[in-house]
Parts: sequence; structure tokens; C-alpha cells
Amino acid sequence: MGFDLSYVLAALPDVGAASLTNAWMAVVICVCALGMGIAFTVVRSLKYAVVNAVISVMISFVRGTPILIQIFLCYYVLPIVGLDLNPTTAGILAISLNSSVFITENFRGALAALDDGPIEAATALALKPAMIWYLIILPQLLRRTLPMLVSEGTVILKNTALLSVITVAEGFRVAQQIGGATFRPFEPLIAVALCFLVLNLVLVGLGTALERRLILKGA
Amino acid sequence: MQLDPTVITDSWRLFVEGTFVTLQLSAMAFVFGLALAIPVAVLSMSRYTALKAVAIVYLAIIRGVPFIALVFIVHYGTAALGARTPAFWSGTIALTLFASAYFSEVIRSTISALPPSQWDSGRVVGMSRWQTLRHIIVPQSVGPMIPPGVNVTIMMIKESSVISAITVGELTYQGLVVQGNTFAPFEVFITIALLYWAITLAFSQLAQWAERRIGRSQKSERPMGGIADRYLTLSTRRPAA
Repeated sequence: MGFDLSYVLAALPDVGAASLTNAWMAVVICVCALGMGIAFTVVRSLKYAVVNAVISVMISFVRGTPILIQIFLCYYVLPIVGLDLNPTTAGILAISLNSSVFITENFRGALAALDDGPIEAATALALKPAMIWYLIILPQLLRRTLPMLVSEGTVILKNTALLSVITVAEGFRVAQQIGGATFRPFEPLIAVALCFLVLNLVLVGLGTALERRLILKGA
Repeated sequence: MQLDPTVITDSWRLFVEGTFVTLQLSAMAFVFGLALAIPVAVLSMSRYTALKAVAIVYLAIIRGVPFIALVFIVHYGTAALGARTPAFWSGTIALTLFASAYFSEVIRSTISALPPSQWDSGRVVGMSRWQTLRHIIVPQSVGPMIPPGVNVTIMMIKESSVISAITVGELTYQGLVVQGNTFAPFEVFITIALLYWAITLAFSQLAQWAERRIGRSQKSERPMGGIADRYLTLSTRRPAA
């Protein structure tokens, strides 16, 4: 059958347009995952034994099972307990939850390396815990974990391709449909792979620019 | 909501079979992936720009393209090149490529984390570059490679679930078959999730045991007991004073 570049080029406009769905879903998920990751971290730092035990079982489950299964659970199982989500929402929920767990675990390591001094000083000045988190801990934490957060961003972007299995019309699914319609399944896949490579490059480029800016401001 | 255990007990054979295929896929990709990771790591540490560029492009492609796309590219790509492979082998090849990229990064980052003076010392006592690698660099690197290597392996075991998309009869695929027959998503997906959880937990326990045996387990705990620990530790266990 061989490889025909013209089929790649023919598929590129449609696949590229559909890949923008991956891009905006990834942006939404990044925001949700970061928010949830911070929330888990703050709640865990409060050290309620029962709450932390529940969270640590959840962390172990999310880290120990495939993201694909978590997507299936959110899409097929949540309706049974009365939460009927459309494919896009279920997918965004599943990937956000998954990544938030990896983020809070990473925060745990980074927190241990932070300096005590500023927090002790803030406590002596009677700042409220919320202010200490917001003004002192989070800025340092986010700066230090930025490289990890960027790489989690690329993981999120790649995971959005899995939402094709629950019928979200994103780039990979569109590529498969074009492949089915033209009987040339291989070339559209190359097109979608190119789209993901470009999106990843953009993401990593943005991350590097952000890192450089923050280091200039004095990390 | 009523749980129906017969959904699982009636097709337990499929779940056992699927678990076996998942383990088989993972074991093969582990061995082949590690073998392929060594030349990739060597290339990525090469002094020659052209060789280094080859490794960089390879890593960018394997790690930048979603694994589900990689699986299909291998599966249809071998067919387009005229060598149609059975789905199982397409899956194994794709998972091997995936593992090789991440393993080679583990190798590269562990070796480059060693102080450069280690290389210089080898050269000073008259060893060649190769001898320095063999007698000084590698023995120091194997231990630190274990924890990140375990993480990559667990990631790879989980990623193997995606291979169900090209109809390889591994755990996720068998689960989808049972779910198609019974329309009982809750029972089925919880069961396969628990099986994956058991596999990855067992593997990480095994790895921890191996690490303890080698005696390289390094737990860096921060000195505890200050005001700041209210914020900076997430563990509920009180430190021994």
C-alpha cells in the first residue's frame, strides 16, 4: 500500500481543526488539575487522620490504575450513581482528577524542601494560615515545581486523545474517521501525530518562557 | 443500585486470561524497552551533535505523540510498509518504543547527575572512556536508577491498557468484552481497576523489597518539629522526638 504524503496533507486541515478541541480541553484540565492539586495539598497539610487516610487510598488508586479505566469509570459508572455527564465533561473530570493526584504528590516532595524561616516569621506576625499559603508557600511552591507542572501539562494533552474512546470528537477520533472513510488509515494518523507534536512544542515553549521570566524575577 | 457478582464469576476466565496477557505484554516491553533504551541513552549523551539530534528527535516523537496514536501508527504503519503484524506484536512494539524512551531518560539523567569529576578521575588513573563507564559510572548508577525505573515500569503497565484499542486480548479488552455482553459497567470496570491496582501495588512492593535488599533505600526526611511543619508536611504521623 505504501505511504502517500498527499493523504497526510489532505487530512491535515480537518485533523488540525479537531486538535484545537484537544488544546482547549487540555487548558481547562490544566487549570482544574492545578486547583484540585493545591486543594488536596492544603487539606492534607491540615493533618486530619481520617481525611488523609481517605485521600491516600484515593491517591494509591489513581496512581495504580490506568487513566483509560478511570475515564471509563467516570463515563459509564457515574451515571449509575446519578451523575450523568456528557463525554467531554466526564473526560475532563477523569483527567483532572488523575493529574491532580500526581501534582499533589509532587507538591509533597517540594514542600519538604522549603525553608522554615519565612513561615515562622509570618506566624510570628500573626498572619492567618490562608494568607501564609497564599503569600508565602504557594508562590515558592509553584515556582519550584514549574518544570514538573509543564511536563504534567504535556501528559494532560496526550491523555485528551484517549477521550476518543468515549466518543469525544477530538483530533485522534477525527483522524480515525478520515482513515475509515478513505481506506487509508495510516496517513491521517501521521497528520494527528504532527498536530500533537506541534501542540506539545508550543506548550513546552510557553513553559520555558515562563520559567525564564520567573527566574529573572528571582526564584 | 444492586451489585451483581455473577457478572464477574461467570466470566472469571476472561479476566484471568486478560491479566495474563497484560503481564506478558508488560514483561516483554520491559525487557526489549530496557535493551533499546541503552543505545538511545548512549546517543543522547553523545559528543557528536548529529548523533545527539537523532536521540532528541526520537524522544520528542515517542514522548510527544499520545500512546494511543503510537499504537495505531505501529499497527497500520507495519501494514502500509507491507509487513502486517498481528495486533499482539504491534502492541508489544509500541509499548517497547514507549518504554525505551522513558527508560533512556532515566539512564541519562541518573548518569548525568553523577559529579563530572567521576569521569575525570577515571581518565586520570589511565582508564579509557569505556573502562571508566564500565568500572566507575555504571556501578554507581544502578542503585539510583531503581526508583525512577520502577515508576516508568508502573506507568508502562498502566499504559498497556490502551493496547486494547487494537483488539489485543489484554485485561482492558476482556473487560470491554464482558461489559458488552452483560451491560454491567460498574461491576466490570471496578473489577479491572482492582486487578490493575493489585498488579501495580504488587510490583511496587516487590521493587521496594529489592531496593532494601540492595540497601540503597534513601529516605530523605526533613528535620521535623518546627512551626513550619504545620504547612510543610502532609503526614499525620508524629515524628519520633
